[in-house]
Amino acid sequence: MTDRRRVNGPVGSTNPPVFEDEPEQEFGAQKGIRTRTPTATRKMYLKTGVTPSASGSAYLEIEASRKGAVSGLKLSCTVHGPRSLPRSTPFSPHIILSTHVKYAPFATKQRRGYIRDPTERDLGSHLETALRGAIIADRWPKSGVDIIISIVEGDHDRETSKSQGGEAWDMMNALSGCITVASAALADAGIDCVDTVAGGVAALVRDEGDDTTPRIVIDPIPSEHEQILAACCVAYLPDRDEITNLWFKGDLPASDMELYSQLVEKGIQASRNSNEVIVNSLLISTREQQPHERHDGTTRMHIAFNLQR
Amino acid sequence: MPLDTSAYGLALLRVDGRRWNELRRMHVQIRTQAAADGSSYLEMGHTKVMCVVTGPSEPGPRRGGLGGTASGGGASSAQSKDAEVAVSIVVAGFSSVDRKRPGRGDKRILELQSTISSALAASLHTHLFPHSTISISLHVLSQDGSLLAALINAATLACVDAGIPMTDYVVACTAGSTSTYAANDEAADPLLDLNHQEEQELPGLTVATLGQSDRVAVLVCESRVQVSRLEGMLAVGVDGCKQVREILDRVVRDKGHRMLLEGTVERGVGLDDMEVD
Amino acid sequence: MASTQHALLSPAELAYLHASLSLTPPIRPDGRAANQFRPLAAETGILPGTNGSARICFADGTEAIVGVKAEVERTRRGDGGREDGVEYVSSRLEGDFVEGVSSGEGAIAAVDEADRVGESEWVELSVEIPGARDDDAGTVFLAAMLAEALLAGGEFAKKLWINRRFHWKLYLDILLISPPLSYPLPLLSLTTHLALLATRLPRLKSEGDEDPFFDDDWAAAPYLYARKDGKATARPPVSLLVMAVGNNIIFDPSKEELAVADVALAVSVGEETATTTAAEADEAQQQQQPLGRNLRLLSVRTIDPPSRLTPPGVPNATNSAYGAATTQKQPEARAAESEAVEGVWKAPRGGAKALVMAALVQKALMRGGVADEVLDALDAVDLVA
Repeated sequence: MTDRRRVNGPVGSTNPPVFEDEPEQEFGAQKGIRTRTPTATRKMYLKTGVTPSASGSAYLEIEASRKGAVSGLKLSCTVHGPRSLPRSTPFSPHIILSTHVKYAPFATKQRRGYIRDPTERDLGSHLETALRGAIIADRWPKSGVDIIISIVEGDHDRETSKSQGGEAWDMMNALSGCITVASAALADAGIDCVDTVAGGVAALVRDEGDDTTPRIVIDPIPSEHEQILAACCVAYLPDRDEITNLWFKGDLPASDMELYSQLVEKGIQASRNSNEVIVNSLLISTREQQPHERHDGTTRMHIAFNLQR
Repeated sequence: MPLDTSAYGLALLRVDGRRWNELRRMHVQIRTQAAADGSSYLEMGHTKVMCVVTGPSEPGPRRGGLGGTASGGGASSAQSKDAEVAVSIVVAGFSSVDRKRPGRGDKRILELQSTISSALAASLHTHLFPHSTISISLHVLSQDGSLLAALINAATLACVDAGIPMTDYVVACTAGSTSTYAANDEAADPLLDLNHQEEQELPGLTVATLGQSDRVAVLVCESRVQVSRLEGMLAVGVDGCKQVREILDRVVRDKGHRMLLEGTVERGVGLDDMEVD
Repeated sequence: MASTQHALLSPAELAYLHASLSLTPPIRPDGRAANQFRPLAAETGILPGTNGSARICFADGTEAIVGVKAEVERTRRGDGGREDGVEYVSSRLEGDFVEGVSSGEGAIAAVDEADRVGESEWVELSVEIPGARDDDAGTVFLAAMLAEALLAGGEFAKKLWINRRFHWKLYLDILLISPPLSYPLPLLSLTTHLALLATRLPRLKSEGDEDPFFDDDWAAAPYLYARKDGKATARPPVSLLVMAVGNNIIFDPSKEELAVADVALAVSVGEETATTTAAEADEAQQQQQPLGRNLRLLSVRTIDPPSRLTPPGVPNATNSAYGAATTQKQPEARAAESEAVEGVWKAPRGGAKALVMAALVQKALMRGGVADEVLDALDAVDLVA
C-alpha cells in the first residue's frame, strides 16, 4: 500500500559516508567480535511511566556494544486502557488486545514509511501471542487495551553494509525487546497479569576464525558473527515456568533435537535476565510512587508477588 | 502486438480460427466444492473463473467497515428488507501473462463487483431473505478476454447451486466488431465472444440478458464505436447469451440428473414437474 | 489476531470437547486418530499460464490454489543507494561482462557453484484469504510463516540464480478459495509445496554472464526442484499444525479442536538434499538402512490458540440460578475465578511448559512421524507441470 497522506522522502536509502582517514586498524578491530561471554546479555535501561498521558508506559534501551559504531535498540511502549469498547463491537467476555509495533521512519538503514509494513505487522502478531498468555483477560469483559510500541532506533551497525542479511535476525532481537518493554508497560498500567513476561533470544552461531564449530550464544548481534545458523525468541513467564510465545527459525537437523532444546533453554535464560531488569525497574518506580499512589494498588501487588520468588 | 485484422476479409476467420458468430469452448462445472453453499467453475476459452457463494446468511461482523469492503453491493444495510448481494472479486496475480500485483481497492475491480451485484440482485428473489447477506466470492484464475461475462455466468451458476430462488439465469456474453473505430469501415461485421487480443484492439461490449427473454440486464461498452455498428453488435451479443444459457442450463440439468441418480438429493415434489431429462 | 476465527461453541460444548480430546487415546469429533491428517485430493499443473500450479481440496471442503510465476530480473549489486544504484550497477556490469569474456570459460564455470548467492527479495509470496484484507495481521502472519520456512538456510533462493547479472524473481500467489473453515496453514503449505514441486523454469541457453536467453521448448524446461526418475531429490518445506490438549498431541486440528487447545504450534519441516559425500552416504547406508528422510527443522511459531478467547462456564456453586448467594458477589467471584471446577470450561491462562512444546516438535519430526507420513503422501501425487 502506498502512503498518499504524507510527503514522503525518496525511497531507498543512502549509507552515511565512511571517511578514509579513520584509522585502519580500528576499522578492522570493530568488525564483529563478540566480547561478551556466550551467556551474557547486553546491559539494558528500562524505565516505566515515561508517558504521562498513557495509562501505562515504558522505555527500553539496550546498550550499544561499542561506542559509536553500533546503535542500541531503543523502544518506547504506551498502553492505553483498559477502556470500554465502542458500541458497535460484539460482546467479548475477555479484554481485547491490540498490538501495534512500528519502526520510526529513521530507525533503520532502510527508511520505513508511516504505514506498517508486513514485518511490523508480523512482529505485532507475535507480540500479541506473547502478551495474551500473560494477561488475565477475563477480568475485563467488554473492554479493550491498545499496546503501541515505537521502535525509535533499531539495532543497526553503521559500518556493515545492508546486504549482510542480518535483518531477518534483527527482527528476533526487536521482538524480544518489544515483549520486555510491553510487559513493563502493562504492569505500569496496572493490568493484571499472571506474571511478568519477558523476551529473550538465543542463537546458534558460527564465528570467523579457525574454530568453526557452532556454539550457542544469548542476545546475539548478527554483525558480530560470521553466520547465524538458527535462532529462537522466547517469551517466558519465570514464575510459572511457562512459555507464551516461541519463535524459532533457522536450519537444524531434525535428528538432533538436543540442539533445539538447548537453544530454547538458552532463550529462557536470556529471558530470565531481562525479567530481572523488569522487576528491578518496577520496584524503583513503585518506591518513587509510594507517597501518592497512582494505581489502586495493583502494581504494588505485582511487585510484592515478584519479590516473593 | 497489434492485431492483424486484414486477414479476416479473406477467409472470414478470426485470429483464433473462429467464425464471426462462434463462441469459444465453454467448460462448466457446478458444485465443485463440498463446503460451500454454492460453487461453480467456468472456462470461456482461456478465461477461467471460480465462484463460491455463501448464504443467504446472517450478515457477519462488518470487518471491512474501515474501507476496502468486500461488498460491491449498493447501500443496502442489515436493516434492509432485501438480502444484500455482496460480491468480492479476487484476481490472482498469476492470471494474466505478466504477473501483476493485485491492487487493493482497484477501481476497475470495484466497478465489476458492483455491476455483478446489481445484475444478480435484480434476478435473485432477495425479498425472501430480509436482513441477510448473500456473499459471492469470485476468483479469477486466468484471463483471456470477456472477463465480466465469465464472472456473471459463474456467479449465476453458483447461485443456482446454492438454491437461491431466482427468476431466470443471468447470462452474459461479449460482442465486438471486425474493424477498429478509426477504420470507420461501414461494412464491418459484428463478432461474438472476444478474446483478450480482440478486446484490446476492437470495439466491444458486454451484454447480459435475463435467460431466454431479450431483456438486457447488463450492458457495458467501454470503447468507441460508430452508432451504426452498435445495433448489430448488440443483436449478436444477445444471440450469444441465448447460446450461453443453453450451455449453462444443460450443465445444471445434467448435474441435477446425476444427483438424483446417485441419491444425493431426494426427488422433491417440485422436481416432478420439471423436465429433468 | 492470528487464528481467531471464533468457533461458536458454548462453554458446555467446549468442556465436552476438551474432555474427549484429553482421553487416551483422544476421541476427535471427526473420528480421526491423533496424528491423522484430513484426507485430501490434490492435482498439479492446473493452470497452463503459470510456471507451476497446484490445487488441494481437503475432505472438509476447504480448497486452495497456488500459482507460481517467474520473471527474469536484473540483480542489483553494489552497496550504493537503490535509485542511483541502477545506473552504477549497469555501468559496472558492462565492465564485468567484458572481463568475464576475456577470462574465458573456465573462470565462469568456477564462479558458478561457489558464487551462487540468493537473496530473500527474489521470492515474493502473497496470501489471499476471502473476507480478509491482505494486510490483515492473520494473513501477514501466515505469509511470513510460509516465506520463512521456504527461505530458511538460503538454499531455495540459490535456485533462482541465473548468472551474476540476472536472477529469477519468483511470485507465489496463494489463494484460499473456500471460506476459512479451519486454520488454513496446513492446507496452504501443502498446496504451496506441490506447486513448487511442479514448477519449471525455461532452460537457459546462454552462457556465463550474458543476457539470459532461454530455450522456448517447454518440454525441455527443467524443474525448479530437480528430479531423478520422476522423483524429486529435494523438496520444498511443509508446515504442520500441531496442538496439545491435556497430555495428548493432536495433528492437523480442525477449527473446533483448535478452540480448546492448550497450545498450538506451527512446525515447518524441510528435507535435506542428499549432497553428502560418498563416504558419508556409505556409512549412512550401512548404519541405518531404512533411514528414510533427512529432515530439517526450519521454523517453529506459536499460534495464538483461539481457546484463550472462549467464554468461560459458570460452575453451579457460583451460579445464582442454582441458589448461590448473589449479595457478596465481588469477593466470591474473585475466589471462584482461580479454582477450576471439573467439567466447567475455563479458558487456558498462561503459556505452556517448555517440555510440552519440545514434545510437540519432537513428535512432528521423529523418524516415521507425521512429517514423514505427510511427505510420503505428497510423493504419491502425480506431478504434471
